[in-house]
Amino acid sequence: MINNLYNVFFDATHNVFQLMLNISDISAQPEEEFKCDDEVDISVGIQGDLSGEVIYRFPVPTSLNIVNIMSGMQFDSVDAFVTSAVSEMANIISGNVLTALSDNDVKCDILPPVLCKLDDDKDYELKTSCCINTAIGEICLLIRLNRAS
Amino acid sequence: MLWKDQYELGVPLIDAQHKELFRRVEAFLQVLRSGVSWDDKALQLNDTLEFMKGYVVEHFRDEEEYQESIGYPGYEAHKQIHNNMVDYVLEVSKQYEESNKNEDLMQQFGGRLLAWLINHVAAEDQRIANYAREKGVSGNDK
Repeated sequence: MINNLYNVFFDATHNVFQLMLNISDISAQPEEEFKCDDEVDISVGIQGDLSGEVIYRFPVPTSLNIVNIMSGMQFDSVDAFVTSAVSEMANIISGNVLTALSDNDVKCDILPPVLCKLDDDKDYELKTSCCINTAIGEICLLIRLNRAS
Repeated sequence: MLWKDQYELGVPLIDAQHKELFRRVEAFLQVLRSGVSWDDKALQLNDTLEFMKGYVVEHFRDEEEYQESIGYPGYEAHKQIHNNMVDYVLEVSKQYEESNKNEDLMQQFGGRLLAWLINHVAAEDQRIANYAREKGVSGNDK
């Protein structure tokens, strides 16, 4: 299971998009094709058998589409409401991942989502990206975890 | 409209409460995102916050009683999710008062509430309905 984190995160994202947004048209995308300058980056910390963080990179258009669908209203710019809504979505996806891991005897907890800035200066034992293309835009998950010693 | 028929659990009391919850949250969002001044919004938002503190607790209690009545195995975990949300609503309400009605705080609350409610009803609560159907107790309404 730990060696298959990519699929766990992909499946959790797929399920959440389907249940919350009625979007099932979702496919994997190579990381090099994910190009974004203006994005909302959310970090969800993980503790337990695995420790580190997952950074959810939501491009601004994707963020706005998510909130527009959920609310049935028109959001044209990122503000505290939009940031909070997509943070909760990252939290929900992470929670689903933890449930899947727990079913395979990998026990972890998550920390509350926080806005973050991208940096790549730390080394992690498990470091991978899960970039996803959906009908309402792309998202990319940076998975950075260490096994408990 | 926030509410979708696919959210129905097939339990009339709980479905009616969910619809009311969605109706209230939708009204809350419309005020929150309207173009009127924050001072004018704040007055109306107070009413919704007070409603949330009362109605959410009442709904969660009824839903938990239903789960117990059908022997839902995820009862404890689900109750914890409810308790965490109640704690969050109370904490935000307290911070909001202490901050002299800070707008960003209420916008954050609105965004989180929206995503939380949709996921909770579309995913977490559906597990209760699935269990009731599997066990043949879906007609055990209050």
